[in-house]
Amino acid sequence: MTTAMLAVFIGSSIRLAMPLLLAAVGELVSERAGVLNMSLEGMMLAGAFAGAVGSWSTGSPLLGLIIAIVAVGPVALIQAFLTVTLRANQIVSGLGLNILVLGSTTLGYRWIFGARSRETIPGFDRWSPPLLKDIPIFGDAVFTQVWLVFAVPFIILAIAAVLRFTVLGISVHAAGEDPGTLDRAGVSAVRIRYGVILFTGSMAALGGAFISIGDIHTFTEGMTNGAGYLAIAAVIFGNWTIWRSVIACLLFGTATALQFQLPAMGVHVPSAVLIMSPYVLAFLSVAGLAGRQTAPKALATPYWR
Amino acid sequence: MIPVDDAGTMVVNRHSVADALSFHGVTKRFGSFAALSDVTVAFRRGEVHCLLGENGAGKSTLCNLAFGIHQADAGEIRLDGAPFRPSGPGDSLKAGIAMVHQHFSLVDDMSVVDNLILGQARGIAWRRAFAAKLEELTTRYGLALKPFARVGDLSIGERQCVEIVKCLIRQPRILILDEPTAVLLPDEIKGLLEVVRRVAVEGCAVILVTHKLAEIRDVADRVTVVRQGRVAAQSQTPGQDIEALVRAMIQRPLEALDPAMAMSLGISAGSEVKRRAARIGPRGPDALQIDAVTVKDATGVVRLDEVTLTIQPGEIVGIVGVEGNGQSELGAVLAGTCPPSAGRIIVGDLDLTGRPPQAFSAAGMGVVPEDRHAVGAITGMTLTENLFLDRSRVPTRFGLLRRRVMREAALTMMAQFDVRASGPDVAFGSLSGGNQQKAVLAREMTRPGLKVLLAAQPTRGLDVGAVEAVYGLIRAASERGVAILLISSELDEVLAIANRVAVLYRGRIVGECRGEPGQRERIGALMAGHSA
Repeated sequence: MTTAMLAVFIGSSIRLAMPLLLAAVGELVSERAGVLNMSLEGMMLAGAFAGAVGSWSTGSPLLGLIIAIVAVGPVALIQAFLTVTLRANQIVSGLGLNILVLGSTTLGYRWIFGARSRETIPGFDRWSPPLLKDIPIFGDAVFTQVWLVFAVPFIILAIAAVLRFTVLGISVHAAGEDPGTLDRAGVSAVRIRYGVILFTGSMAALGGAFISIGDIHTFTEGMTNGAGYLAIAAVIFGNWTIWRSVIACLLFGTATALQFQLPAMGVHVPSAVLIMSPYVLAFLSVAGLAGRQTAPKALATPYWR
Repeated sequence: MIPVDDAGTMVVNRHSVADALSFHGVTKRFGSFAALSDVTVAFRRGEVHCLLGENGAGKSTLCNLAFGIHQADAGEIRLDGAPFRPSGPGDSLKAGIAMVHQHFSLVDDMSVVDNLILGQARGIAWRRAFAAKLEELTTRYGLALKPFARVGDLSIGERQCVEIVKCLIRQPRILILDEPTAVLLPDEIKGLLEVVRRVAVEGCAVILVTHKLAEIRDVADRVTVVRQGRVAAQSQTPGQDIEALVRAMIQRPLEALDPAMAMSLGISAGSEVKRRAARIGPRGPDALQIDAVTVKDATGVVRLDEVTLTIQPGEIVGIVGVEGNGQSELGAVLAGTCPPSAGRIIVGDLDLTGRPPQAFSAAGMGVVPEDRHAVGAITGMTLTENLFLDRSRVPTRFGLLRRRVMREAALTMMAQFDVRASGPDVAFGSLSGGNQQKAVLAREMTRPGLKVLLAAQPTRGLDVGAVEAVYGLIRAASERGVAILLISSELDEVLAIANRVAVLYRGRIVGECRGEPGQRERIGALMAGHSA
């Protein structure tokens, strides 16, 4: 592999890891508070769709991004109402939502775009920060990205800081370990769990919108293609710690980038195997680590006072 | 002593300025069951007010109403004379009510300081500031805690200490403690009661739920007895009224009480024990031999360390220790559900080391497991089916169950062991805790060729009547020549019925002595890990 190819590979790995990172970090917060948000995939897809529609109708990708976050709100609220208030099974309700979102975005896409499918949607432009862009070879291939990519490290740092250094972070931790104790300390476990699900919704919306208006500037049916499930796998692989989850996302991103890199390098592997690789990696990591994990004690357990 | 009529009304309970919290005709129902009916009681500033009553009498419900976990169905709770209707613990905490719950209410996976911060602040968690506050409180009350230790790594006594500090840090005006001493060692109980006393002297109204009479003698300014959800008696001079309070609690003359029961309640010195000790004859062949048994768990940690113990037929040996020192593992080894990593187990003259549970049953080992719901019985099946869970004894014809024969046998067992149920076909789970336990005992004690009975925490969560019945059954078995190993976290219980007591500490037997009340201090020290 030449240096130039390596640079392109790194650049596309980072780009492909972004939606996973945003969704996984959001999911991490949910799971730390005891909510296994299976609807993450649906939330991402809804975000991708709403972002595309918003950007296309307003002409502004930034407005599209905001519309994506707002549009995922109701999906997150349904998930919260079902699992926190009605105490429904978190996995079943999440999968149900995923199917609902897949159906409604497909319908909406055909209805709104119809014949205009394959039309390019206004998306974010690529940009590279000063100094960094002057690095030979790597400057262009690695650091010329959508601004959201540069924002992600700061978002992750901020979330890590909130979890580690604030009372809210301690309450989130307690909601996932022992919601009864949290409740008896005078903090509503219900409110915390509603809050984290809405937060995860926003992060998933960002991740989904990144795919449609940050990366490929179009929307296709079911375009998230399991990214939400990969993000959930990254949280498990990361053993519910933020930094290990980030590493897992980067790993999955790299595996996805390999799909494009290997053929470019002249290595001929059946394309089905390549497309499968991030999922196989996720499967192996989750299966290989099963039993040696320390999940939050009250994960996926509804809370009864 | 103020007698109370059946309606639970008391003339003395008009609002007085000293009343911090008062209940007026409060009723709380769970479904059709009235946990509290028309309760009127007042708690005063500067007093330790003990609530005495059997399991299920309604003491915890009363505390939970004051703390806002449940809401009253009728009647009124007043705080400083004004109506008080907390909709959740948050409201009560804001009003200055703090509570130590019956079971720990701490997040194991967090540090002591983080547990203290929970619900106490907003924004950034200033851990060092809280650690300083903690330091100040612990020195003031003579406690010791490491602020940055993980709660899951602390001993039971230290966790209880965190619970108390968690309340004190809020500077409560009313402090509720729901059976805080149930899990503590004698020394730790003394320390806790001192703290409670001091908090009351500083002007706090303290509500202490307990069923230990010694504690009432030590700290109570006032005692209210709760029975079947009603106030049964009250005393302002508890030290002098102990016997009357107990009578009100169990609604029977004390003379009719089983002597072991009386002793474990703390009302008699237990002269019975010596009489029993004399009954054991010269040492014959052992019924059970545990020979240098070692158990390591999945992570390689040693849970039982070369435990050696022998029991003769007819002997009752008690195993005491703070929970988590190897009792559960010892029980599992003797039930055959956990093969030891080293050592031997011999029942009668059969070496059963490494054999499956069926072999233990066949050799005459009866097991009353510590968790009767998870291991001892199947709650969704009928009482009859549970009495015949043991496959080898089920009456069949041509491979088909003979239900009628089973039902008749079940009725006989129910009569013999006083299992009260509306019939042999009711779901096991619908029985009361006491009757469930008696049914498990019935099944295990009618095992053909019973040589050894392992009873792990046999009286946990039972009311006085059922506890007495269980003691009676255990003693009857020992008189029939069955060797009994009693594993219990209630030291007084073991001292009352065991001939010999062994202390488990960190998986080792650290001491053995005769089961006599005089040994209480020494055993307490051994349980805490001090060598005698």
